[in-house]
Amino acid sequence: MNLLRGGIDFLTASGGMHGWAMATAAVVSAAAAVVGSLLVVRRMSLIGDAISHAVLPGIVVGVLLGGRPGGPLATAGAVAAAMLTVWLAELLRVKGRLSEDAAAGVVFTTLFAGGVALLSAAASRVDADPGCVLYGMLELVPFDVVEVAGIELPRAFLGGVVVLAGILGTLWMTWRQQLATAFDADAAAVVGLPARAITNGLLCATAIVTVASFEAVGAVIVVAMLVVPAATAELLVSTLPRLIMVAVGLAVAAACSGYAVAWQAETNAAGMIASLLGVAYVVAVVVAPEGMLARAVARVRLSWRVVCEDVLAEAWRAEEAGSVAVAAPRGGMAGPLASWWLTRRGRLLSNRQLTPAGREEAEMVVRSHRLWETWLGRHVRLPVDHLHPPAEWIEHYLGAEMRQRLEADMAVSPTGPVEADPHGSLIPPER
Amino acid sequence: MSLLHAAAASLGISSNTLVVTLAMAAVGMAAGVVGCFSVLRRRALVGDAAAHATLPGVAAAFLLTGSRSLPVLLAGGAVSAVISLGLLVLLRRFTRTREDAATAIVIGVSFGVGVALISGLVARGVPGSGGLERFLLGSTASLSASEAVLLVLASLVATGLVIAFAKEAIVVSFDPGFAAAAGWPVWWIDFALVAITAVMVVVGLPAAGAVLVTALVVIPPVAARQWTDRVGVMLCLAGVFGLVAALAGVVVSAVVPGLATGPMVVLAAAAVFAVSLVCAPKRGLLAMAMRPKPSIMMPPEGPRERSRS
Repeated sequence: MNLLRGGIDFLTASGGMHGWAMATAAVVSAAAAVVGSLLVVRRMSLIGDAISHAVLPGIVVGVLLGGRPGGPLATAGAVAAAMLTVWLAELLRVKGRLSEDAAAGVVFTTLFAGGVALLSAAASRVDADPGCVLYGMLELVPFDVVEVAGIELPRAFLGGVVVLAGILGTLWMTWRQQLATAFDADAAAVVGLPARAITNGLLCATAIVTVASFEAVGAVIVVAMLVVPAATAELLVSTLPRLIMVAVGLAVAAACSGYAVAWQAETNAAGMIASLLGVAYVVAVVVAPEGMLARAVARVRLSWRVVCEDVLAEAWRAEEAGSVAVAAPRGGMAGPLASWWLTRRGRLLSNRQLTPAGREEAEMVVRSHRLWETWLGRHVRLPVDHLHPPAEWIEHYLGAEMRQRLEADMAVSPTGPVEADPHGSLIPPER
Repeated sequence: MSLLHAAAASLGISSNTLVVTLAMAAVGMAAGVVGCFSVLRRRALVGDAAAHATLPGVAAAFLLTGSRSLPVLLAGGAVSAVISLGLLVLLRRFTRTREDAATAIVIGVSFGVGVALISGLVARGVPGSGGLERFLLGSTASLSASEAVLLVLASLVATGLVIAFAKEAIVVSFDPGFAAAAGWPVWWIDFALVAITAVMVVVGLPAAGAVLVTALVVIPPVAARQWTDRVGVMLCLAGVFGLVAALAGVVVSAVVPGLATGPMVVLAAAAVFAVSLVCAPKRGLLAMAMRPKPSIMMPPEGPRERSRS
């Protein structure tokens, strides 16, 4: 309760300053996450990076002509700069015969440098300093307000809402085309969809989002807002609608918590939001369904199963030979540990003899092993002393269905059905 | 030294300014030479990731040592740049994230972390932390002559390494398959090239800043490529272009107050590139426009157009 009250106090303090700043960051980040999802799945992340840098001169020109950093003039300038970037990069690639990355590298650094130079030269006439360009001034956003229907709203928030609504609306109306183009742009063009227009629209949207988030997070950190939520969501889910939803959720969460943490830690909000997005990505890399943790666990479980099955099979072979397995077969510490575990699970008795359940499991491992040896001997014609190693591996992977198919395959072969493996040991029947 | 003093006096500037300006010219030259292979190997934007990733390292070095000395800060930047390149390799190897997204993640997140660290230090009024902001856009005004000489030495080492291993770098750049088949350690040569580029980016940091320094290693080589088809000539030309760009940028930003060095250096380099793009023989736009269109019956003269596929 105290936490909740503290949170509400934080949001409503000094005329809702924090609340508005947070809402602005959330709206802008959500818009960036939607656009970024399409950029990431279309492998255009670096074009997004280039455009977000390159729109700077467009914004500055718009501001010099009397607009505001997030206003319509700046937006028009930014879209023009984005189109100029794409056109120039294409020109350099085709006429200048540069590779794609070099063309992008030349164009966006040049345009960004031009923007910064223009800004420095006109510093007296523009109230945005180069530092703001690099990392935004989210803390100042709530103080620039505009009145709508009697309510004072921060300009940047209003701009962000308009942009977000526009992007979501466009996405809704062109969803089928977007999906087809995102999946395979060439195929979409071949079947007559306006793939080129869709791509250009995406580039425009990138420019517009950069302008909308310019005051809040600056032109450089917006790259993180564009790419990281989508790249994180891509690790967690695998369809485009879910990817967009997860990316937006992550972006909003990172924006709100990043602003709060930055305020507590007295640091730049945009930088903190980007840092938290980075943390979210790293966490996703580790804990995602196919992430590092899941793969490590799967690997350990597989190794453990192999060790246990080897212990059981060893005990079964000892029983077959009329003796008792004296030691766990191999694997250093793992063998004794597996014996102990199998005893607890009721597969082995304490004198290392098999229980009925253990015998059943062991027989299927040995059956897989011997069937495979037989099959290799007949079909691949390996010499008898080469049959054991491959069978020792595959015995852990053959299921009941595969064993039946192996047996059936050999039953119809000219040499007739099998009862014993090439070493002369009987093959246990399927249970 | 007296010669230096005399030269500085005749130009009407302090000898420190003269040394710094000449040193930046040398750094620009080295960056041009080193950048050739990252352009030929089509890794132009890897340098950008490394450049943005220097920022958290610079801030962390300041935080840990409390030192403002340039070598310490740049060493921190170099460490975090190399770590970020390692992360790029790991992300590509172990996750579903594709290379372009991984590069953009490294650029955005490391820049964000750096900005958060630096502005946190500035907000707490930590003495000397204000100077860290010059690493964002570059400023040579606060460089001392001895620091500048150190940067020149580091860039000489980087250039020397690239020239010493030019044969390996050329083969790996143009035909990695052949290099691998011939039993060369392609992965290590690649990594060395990328690491040298990262070091060069760090050395260029005071001149151009984290956001723009990648232009130092990309634009001069790309401009040089327009004039020649030979790697040796390209290396020399890129060095000259880098030198001219750095010199022009530093001089302009010193003469005009309020202009950061980085953007000026980049714009100067871009001007050199624009001239190269239009005027270069054979590959230049003018030369291509004046060349008669190849008829269908006649095989085209000169290098064939690369097919657009």
